[in-house]
Amino acid sequence: MRWGLLAAALVASPVAAGVVYSAAAATGLAGFDPRGFSTDRLSRVLGEPAVWESLAWTVRTASLATLLASALAVLVAMTFRRGRGVDRLARTLAVLPLPVPHLVAATTAVLLLAQSGLLSRLGFAAGWLAGPADMPPLVYDRGGLGLVLTLTWKELPFLALVATTLLATRGAALEETARGLGAGPWDTFRLVTWPLLWRGLLPSIVAVFAFAAGSYEAAAMLAPSDPLALPLLTLERYTDPDLARRGDAFVLVLVGLMLTGAAVGLHEWVRYRTTELPG
Amino acid sequence: MSTAALRIERLSAPFGSAPGLEDLSFEVQSGERFVLLGASGAGKTTLLRAIAGLAPAAARRMEVAGYDVAALPPERRDVVYLHQTPLLFPHLTVGRNVGFPLRVRKVPAAQAAKRVEEALSAVHLESFADRMPHTLSGGQRHRVALARAIIARPAVLLLDEPFASLDPSLRQEVREAVLTIQREYGPALVLVTHDLDEAGLLGDQVGVLLRRRLAQVDRPAQLFARPTSLEVARFLGMPNEVVGRIAEQGCFESVLGVLRVSRTIAPGPSVALFRPEAVRICERGFMAAPVVALRHRVHQTTAIVEVGGTRLEVALGGARPPAAHSLVQLSIDPDQLMIFPAP
Amino acid sequence: MSSVLRAGRTAGLLCLGLSALLPMLLLAIWSVGDSWFYPALWPSRLTAESWRALLSGEGRLWAAAVTSMLLAAGTGAMACIVALPVGRALARLDGWRRHLGAALTFLPVAAPPVALATGLQFSFLSLGLGGRPIGVLLAHAVPAVAYVSLYFTGVFAGFDARVEEEARSLGASAGQTFWFITLPLLRRPLAEGFALGFLISWSQMPLTLLIGGGAVRTLPIEVFAFVEAGQDRIAATGALVLLVPALVALAAARLAASRTEVAAV
Repeated sequence: MRWGLLAAALVASPVAAGVVYSAAAATGLAGFDPRGFSTDRLSRVLGEPAVWESLAWTVRTASLATLLASALAVLVAMTFRRGRGVDRLARTLAVLPLPVPHLVAATTAVLLLAQSGLLSRLGFAAGWLAGPADMPPLVYDRGGLGLVLTLTWKELPFLALVATTLLATRGAALEETARGLGAGPWDTFRLVTWPLLWRGLLPSIVAVFAFAAGSYEAAAMLAPSDPLALPLLTLERYTDPDLARRGDAFVLVLVGLMLTGAAVGLHEWVRYRTTELPG
Repeated sequence: MSTAALRIERLSAPFGSAPGLEDLSFEVQSGERFVLLGASGAGKTTLLRAIAGLAPAAARRMEVAGYDVAALPPERRDVVYLHQTPLLFPHLTVGRNVGFPLRVRKVPAAQAAKRVEEALSAVHLESFADRMPHTLSGGQRHRVALARAIIARPAVLLLDEPFASLDPSLRQEVREAVLTIQREYGPALVLVTHDLDEAGLLGDQVGVLLRRRLAQVDRPAQLFARPTSLEVARFLGMPNEVVGRIAEQGCFESVLGVLRVSRTIAPGPSVALFRPEAVRICERGFMAAPVVALRHRVHQTTAIVEVGGTRLEVALGGARPPAAHSLVQLSIDPDQLMIFPAP
Repeated sequence: MSSVLRAGRTAGLLCLGLSALLPMLLLAIWSVGDSWFYPALWPSRLTAESWRALLSGEGRLWAAAVTSMLLAAGTGAMACIVALPVGRALARLDGWRRHLGAALTFLPVAAPPVALATGLQFSFLSLGLGGRPIGVLLAHAVPAVAYVSLYFTGVFAGFDARVEEEARSLGASAGQTFWFITLPLLRRPLAEGFALGFLISWSQMPLTLLIGGGAVRTLPIEVFAFVEAGQDRIAATGALVLLVPALVALAAARLAASRTEVAAV
């Protein structure tokens, strides 16, 4: 019993080391210019509007992509849930991009969505666009639409896999039971299928949000320079020629890890609530 | 003095964090079958696993074939523990499963092959050596597990409810296999069950495990006829229990009247337990009682009669089944009463 | 009503097909497209130059692919070795302990790689691991070990440890039991754990960038550089190479799933 938590602590220790070091560097005890303990840097960086804009933008983009992907995953799972034939093919197609690296997804997105990308060329060929400048900016735009779409595409396979598995392993029997007890199709969906999907998907949704918020490659290729996504801002500060500003990165590392910690905590708490407790 | 195959003295074993088995002692000779009888949760499995070295235990002595094994790891105890359901290694053929104990003992291949053949033929599975476990029937799996358990000739074989998961027809098949391999390989058997019939059928000795202790160890005939405590008697399933008292000079006074009982029991409040055969319906008995109902069991039909407000299940004693509510005469054999001080 | 439903299903199927296959198709065209200027829908010339360079073993892509392959194989192996006992220990936890253990193990998986890399870089540098492949390997192992541990936790939750007891009782030592019983029974999960660890390292970029300090040039680093430099053809070629192990792993997984499994007896 005791070994389990020890092993888990061992696996998590690099993160703990990162947190400890970053906390030390953020308070002047370590890092590029250790000058003794002081909270000046913490309060200065956390007082910057750009930092909060970056965090808000990152959370918004990741949430949007996660929501979209979840909705699509439920739609796919519900639409193609029969055992064989077209449904099986559709589910395979939905899961196919699962192991595609973020970098490949982002590269493809650039080739497809940029103002001189394939979509823009198709628009031109169809006579809808007069040139690259006419193409609505999807890449590097403040709204981050290109990034949201790319992250959605990257997250959909995993969520679709979880949703279809949920329906396949537990859905049918529970739905039949509900029908046998007198529930109509709509009530069965409302009272059985939907709660099952929702509760089963929630931990994965939280996990996927954490991945989306922390993703560097896609943001680097598709996100705007103002506001900068949190991972980009962190790296920008970390490589700043001004040594004093470099240390700011450690404050941002703490912000990023705290966001992750919150997501992971929520994720396990939801799983604890849904698996260990009755009702 | 001959060396026992298994000698346990004052063994205690915890159940996880709860208090576990206490102060158990018994001995099993080579070729002997020792049946551990007990209700579920009495600690039978824990005891077997403790002997096998798979569960922690403390004992003053734990000897296998004369050697102290208490400190040895499971593989060096010369004891094989068989789980309730046969756990064959799913990635090995039947032949390699049976040969496993020889392989880990580095027995030369040619010799091992011959012994595998012998062991398989002892359980009538000669032609199954190349089959994979998942292609076997339930009974065949049990027989393979037995052949595998015996092939390295352990001094003691521990069988945990070996027949519990089988339906009656397979039970016979597996029981035969157990008896055959014991005859051919001669280990001591320790067999756990909660089935009274099975204990009587298979055991040379039966140990009754009740409330974490060995309540009685005896030959089956002796155990069933003379349980030494109220607890054991109740566990053996006596259908009748009559409260009364032992007066001076060994007389039991109850609704059954005053009965002379041969055994010497301390005077005071007492309980008598007995099987239906102890009280019979007959032409001329010592008391009359109304019949309340008939009860049809597998081997006999009995009558429920009412005596002084107590319902008793009694044997028909060759008489024709009486009509309900009729009055019948009863005779009683005081020697078959098991009388214990009232708890 | 049902015809609307059917049309919706057909459209959905088409979208899924497009979403799964179009990116690969696009990358394939881009990897051979030459002088492909706006607004042309099709490249004016096709050239296999980037593929030739890759396959002849010259150029940065090939070197990067080899580096990536070695790092990923090392990470996969290391992840399996460490995660096997960790997953087993985690599977033995129950109640809130199980969830605390899972949350801790999940942290390195979910932590933003940039944050992890920044937080670890100084420690790696002070240990002399910065800018060296061994340092990058260890850095990749951080999320990989965690991910594979979580996977093995699930494997061991369904593993019947009584089979090992049976082996011990039949005379096998702890080592023999592990070698003859546990390891063969876990062959498939181990292969899958290796593949997971491999893929995590294979697609990792920020950790390579910061711990490797630009000296360890993996395939993602090169592809990223080519995209930034606007060298679309080479970038697309590299991206396709990046896809290969992913597709192989997926195909293997599907093959294994469709084959009937040997039922545990």
